[in-house]
Amino acid sequence: MKRLNVKQPPVIITPSAGDTAFPEVVRLSNGVPVYLLGKGTVDLLRIEFVFDAGQRRESVHMAASTANAMLTEGTENHDAITLNDLIDSTGAVLNHSADKETASLVMITLSRKLEEVTALAGEVLFHPSFPETEFRMLIDKRVQAFLTGRQKTSVIGREEFYRALCGNDNPYGRVTKLDDYQFITTSAIREFHSLHYRPDNMYITVAGRDPEQALPVLERYFSGNGTGMWHKPKMPDLVFETAKTGRIFAEVSNSVQSAVRMGWKGISRDHPDYQGLQVANMILGGYFGSRLMRNIREEKGYTYGINSVVGAFHGLGYIAIMTEVANNYREETIMEIKKEITELSRDEVSQDELSIVRNHFMGEIARMFDGPFNSAETIRGIIDYNTGHDYFTRFVETVKTIAPGKIKELFNTYFNSDNAFEIIAGAK
Amino acid sequence: MVEFERHTLANGLKVIVHYDAGTPMVTTNLLYDAGSRDEDPEATGFAHLFEHLMFEGSDNVPVFDTPVMLAGGENNAFTNNDITNYYITLPSNNLEIALWLESDRMVGLDLSESRLLTQKSVVTEEFRQRYLNQPYGDLFLLLRPLAYKVHPYMWPAIGKDISHIEKADSDRVRQFYRRHYAPSSAILSVAGTVKPDDVFRMVEKWFGDIPSSEIIARVLPQEPPQNERREITVYRDVPAAQLIMAFHTGTRESRDFYILDLLTDILSGCDSGRFPSLLVRKKELFSDADIYLSGEIDPGLVIFSGRLKHGTDIKKAEAAVMHELNILASEPVTAAELDKARNRYESLRLLSYLSAANKAFSLAFHELLGDAEGINTEIDRYMSVTAGEIIDSSARTFTPDNCSVIHYLPDVK
Repeated sequence: MKRLNVKQPPVIITPSAGDTAFPEVVRLSNGVPVYLLGKGTVDLLRIEFVFDAGQRRESVHMAASTANAMLTEGTENHDAITLNDLIDSTGAVLNHSADKETASLVMITLSRKLEEVTALAGEVLFHPSFPETEFRMLIDKRVQAFLTGRQKTSVIGREEFYRALCGNDNPYGRVTKLDDYQFITTSAIREFHSLHYRPDNMYITVAGRDPEQALPVLERYFSGNGTGMWHKPKMPDLVFETAKTGRIFAEVSNSVQSAVRMGWKGISRDHPDYQGLQVANMILGGYFGSRLMRNIREEKGYTYGINSVVGAFHGLGYIAIMTEVANNYREETIMEIKKEITELSRDEVSQDELSIVRNHFMGEIARMFDGPFNSAETIRGIIDYNTGHDYFTRFVETVKTIAPGKIKELFNTYFNSDNAFEIIAGAK
Repeated sequence: MVEFERHTLANGLKVIVHYDAGTPMVTTNLLYDAGSRDEDPEATGFAHLFEHLMFEGSDNVPVFDTPVMLAGGENNAFTNNDITNYYITLPSNNLEIALWLESDRMVGLDLSESRLLTQKSVVTEEFRQRYLNQPYGDLFLLLRPLAYKVHPYMWPAIGKDISHIEKADSDRVRQFYRRHYAPSSAILSVAGTVKPDDVFRMVEKWFGDIPSSEIIARVLPQEPPQNERREITVYRDVPAAQLIMAFHTGTRESRDFYILDLLTDILSGCDSGRFPSLLVRKKELFSDADIYLSGEIDPGLVIFSGRLKHGTDIKKAEAAVMHELNILASEPVTAAELDKARNRYESLRLLSYLSAANKAFSLAFHELLGDAEGINTEIDRYMSVTAGEIIDSSARTFTPDNCSVIHYLPDVK
């Protein structure tokens, strides 16, 4: 079956990144910054409360994630079941999460329930009761998830990666062991909570239609507590001990695939080459048409997916390449990854390939700012890492102007795979 | 209200356009009325394998992804038991690129041996990654043939067995393409900052000359009513036992679908639902307990799935679930529970429709069910569910004879 007549393909209009302006910020009377992202089209508001209360702040392992998960397990006024019933009855969604750097609570609510839900969010964040029964249930559940994770090559591969990158004595790199669940207590999380969940250690983003409507409500429930009296607890400087180069093997018996992770130290977000490195990374393994995907998935069929990442924590940048492959392909896969890096260090990318990556980035950025909810997630990176309100303006400029010669230079400077540690998690 | 306009081309392609002023992007959603239920029982996983081939280039497009990326877009697809669905989201001034690409692969896909060989290998690795190399990953490979004895829902979209993918040959692939990838089997839905008339004109230009083909009516064996409890027990290298209980229910368009969708939200849609409250928190039998509809177009399943707490006897756990389900067949849910479920439906619906892509898919899917207007009328179908209907529906559905059970237990070492 063929088409009757072949037509001229449509002309592609070079995509633009659109409006990447940093939002307006106002402050509650106690100084809490509130970022307002408007232009919503439906009567929903998304309000996120972000605290500098991630894993890096913990002295007891898992205190950050446990304190965060326990927020909705009961407060001074309500037991867990009543509390959750109150939240759910409003139709609101409350999601808590904690990662290596921050902890957050996202509430998404119908505008007409704003007052009710904000009051509950305030209660959950500042007056949790951390009841013993719910705590024990949470730990049991975590132990179960932990044991399930021991059989996932992807989980083991990721853990070993962070351990190799950051060192086992560092909260970014520490690998959880079954014993650790015995040492975490409600008093440890209570202490963590009172140190870090404070108005002077947080910011708020409000996204949706008419976000200003949330200001008086937030003022009512978030303007109290700790004004000016609080000093951020002094944290010891973290020591990163990145593993020496070479192979690290973690056995996951009976697995039919292996997780392959390669990585090495990178650079911080404020380094002048950081943005250019994002472009270089995109070419290597950052999108579906990347060198790694084309070679290792689309030509060789070794994997369902492979990608690479350039990222940075506070204090340590990294470069990582990750995939899951059949056990018998893992050596070939590592060889091919090195081959692709060598090639990009030796030959300049063509203008055609660079155009694809440039345009793809523009589309990506446009999607990151598509509507207030997406924008709210996007600006968190700017706030959390203090990369400057003009981060995306500069980034768009970098993407548009970076030359093939510069990209080759970046590969030579930062992608020395001889410095890599290689992790394989899988069957022997 | 999601407003839209509709038009059908002479070759049978149905087109729906929704104007959404809230985004600089546009999504094209092309739904093909072909899923794993349309496969030969001896060659399963085909619809999904074919989805992979759709990204391998066509007559005028050597690499599918390149123009999408150049236009600042992103794209993906999924296959389930009923449909194969492709979508592209790009800046709205590049809409025509998406239409060009979709039209070219609808009519002139590159089905060379080498492309097929690679994608067979990729899909084999996908099968391993998602179903075999994951603890509990084979649950649905086990459940479907237990619950279905006749209907092709007896295998999952990835296929019955990895060997079916390994032996897929290009003759069958071509046959599948000819039979299912025609304008009359497709629904194209477009949502974003685009005017319906402009879209209709562009669609006519790119799809209008694709020949229509004869639609072969779908004749599928219907699953007879189940009239005895089915149970299997398997042992796997997992840390905790899992209980699955599946009950047959009605079609996607049946009244029961809406009743049970709302009911399952009351039971486990949120943390204060009955199952998390009673089975997890109060009785401490499970570490999680979930119930949901499988949601297929032909009669589907209501599936309970719960991971047991260490030390819970699985028979006791099953009895506790059955006890809760039996209560539903005699005592009405409370007004507060219904009210909560309605509020949640309202906010989750708004949340989902913040994305033009979600609206585009939903419009196409409702059109496949019979009428795109369903995107708006289904609100009433949910809001009008009564406590009495929930009793009737529960009494019909949650009977022991209508139940397929999996006891998925840790290996005794």
